[in-house]
Amino acid sequence: MRGAAVAGVGLLTGWGEGAAALPADARAAARGRRVVTLARPALAGERFRRATRECLLGVAAVEALLRDAGLARATLRGSDTALLYVTAGGYGASNVEFATGETGTGGALHFPYTAPSAVPGEVAIEFGLTGAYSILIGGATATLDALWQAARLLAAGRSRRALVLAVETFAECEALWTRARWLAGRPLVETAACALLVPSDAATSLQPSRAPAELEALARARGGEALAAGPLVALALARAAGRAGVLTLTGEWRGRRAGLTLEAH
Amino acid sequence: MAAGAVTPIGGDLDAFWSGLVTGSDGITRIERFPVDGLRVGRGGEIKKLRAGRPPGPGCRATQLLFAAADDLLARAPLDAPAERVALAIGTALGGVEELERALAPGGTLRQAAGGLYDAPTHALARRLGARGPSLTVSTACASGATALGLAADLLREGAADCVVAGGYDILCRFVMRGFDALRSLTRERVRPFDRRRSGLLLGEAAALVLMTRERDARGPRLGRLLGHASASDGSHLTAPAPDGRGLEFAVRGAMAEAGVAATDVDFVSAHGTATPLNDRVETQVLQRALGPRAAALPMNSIKGGLGHTMGAAATLEAIMCLLAAREGVVPHTVGLEERDPECDLDYVAGAPRAVRPRVSLSTSLGFGGCNAALVLEGAGG
Repeated sequence: MRGAAVAGVGLLTGWGEGAAALPADARAAARGRRVVTLARPALAGERFRRATRECLLGVAAVEALLRDAGLARATLRGSDTALLYVTAGGYGASNVEFATGETGTGGALHFPYTAPSAVPGEVAIEFGLTGAYSILIGGATATLDALWQAARLLAAGRSRRALVLAVETFAECEALWTRARWLAGRPLVETAACALLVPSDAATSLQPSRAPAELEALARARGGEALAAGPLVALALARAAGRAGVLTLTGEWRGRRAGLTLEAH
Repeated sequence: MAAGAVTPIGGDLDAFWSGLVTGSDGITRIERFPVDGLRVGRGGEIKKLRAGRPPGPGCRATQLLFAAADDLLARAPLDAPAERVALAIGTALGGVEELERALAPGGTLRQAAGGLYDAPTHALARRLGARGPSLTVSTACASGATALGLAADLLREGAADCVVAGGYDILCRFVMRGFDALRSLTRERVRPFDRRRSGLLLGEAAALVLMTRERDARGPRLGRLLGHASASDGSHLTAPAPDGRGLEFAVRGAMAEAGVAATDVDFVSAHGTATPLNDRVETQVLQRALGPRAAALPMNSIKGGLGHTMGAAATLEAIMCLLAAREGVVPHTVGLEERDPECDLDYVAGAPRAVRPRVSLSTSLGFGGCNAALVLEGAGG
């Protein structure tokens, strides 16, 4: 399949903004913390008053991308930009809050924010995105599936740009996540990341993969466990290092390991 | 494409179809969990699951998915190596009821892990022995359509040879509380496109199709997915865009991918939730996208008898389109009695209609500004 190239990356992690904020060794830098948290972004506007932290992180990640790529908001607006959102558990906090709200132990969260579609919904409203739209649930392999789907939309001429966004938060469900050792490594690092893809002549392919590629290992060592955001952390690291040409991204989730090739500008 | 289903109006595909054409009403008082304190305690609840293979885990969402898979595989066996079998499963709620259990006194970690929205998909993959891509789609109530579209893409690009695709969702207190608080549920009958419509009722179901490339298809087929598209409204978290822009983009995109013009479309399966805004916006979008053809087409909504089955809805509606082509009958819109001047299309009221639609359009909308459209071609009778 005709492929996709990376035109920009936005990265917010518990370590700070951008790849430069990532430590050399996430495990050591966590200093025993099981979760490295991201603060609720202070976004102005009445519409954001009721929005969840995950929604605001999604919006803030896209703003970080626009800064990284030197693009104006208007570039994304309209039906030419596809939006693909991925998360393994970014809905956990809202679901727990709503579920416990009835018994008085939680808040009275507005029900629509429990849906995974709330995060991309808020992003679409904020940036005026009205193009192709998909939401996948899962870890790193789901993000590779979304990047592949984005490349497909570009190759077919259905979109001129594709925004792939992942948001993972853990703080509100720390007790659950830290016990689920078979699903997630350590430390769990809250991350909101996105990549803007544009058409490219380099081929893009999605295949099974036997072992982590160099970028996956690097992203995990420096970024920590970011689940669905992991491949986007890898892209941010490659971009910060000025790597051009074809990149190989890999990831694993629930026993499935996959790999994807993409071009870096 | 072959299909399997479990629904409030029938425990398998044949019973589902039979329930549609007889106008069965699957809406009852909910019995499986307490509905005290809710304004509305009715919905499309499946009272009994058929005894088949051992149901596996106690998670109801997984049980519904397994029941639909058993029905599907009884009709069309998987015929591809495990690594070439993929899953694309849509859901609005995943295993959220397991999360509620995990949070209750005595809750277990296993239940918490089951609360992840992709847990039932992976349980199904293990049950089927599928080792190809395993996708969980959550475009809210459009999930079942998006999943079929992604399945077609996996096949088209050679990422799999065979995809089990579809959607599911269950009725549970979590979702009933949510829609009840939104005042979206009607205390009356569900009346899609009716002048007196006052809201939706929820239902539970699972629906799956087995998709292969045309050249790999074996045995009898229900039909083909010719085109699909999705779009975001970028307008509101819960309400459709007043101008229907996302849905219109999806409809036009699906028709373009299918290579069909408005004059080629024989039937429309509408989302038709029976909320005042949805049905009006959807009518206007169909009038714009299909032009004069819209007034000449039979259309329906099957949510009057089933309730809104969320992640399963769009897959059930796609299957209904293909069964209508096979049987030469379009089921009527249960609950529609008095025409709304603002919904002035032919929403097949009163009784099923003898017509054999070759090409169908199916539309879906969901929370978060999700829209999806499918264009399907029935294999015919």
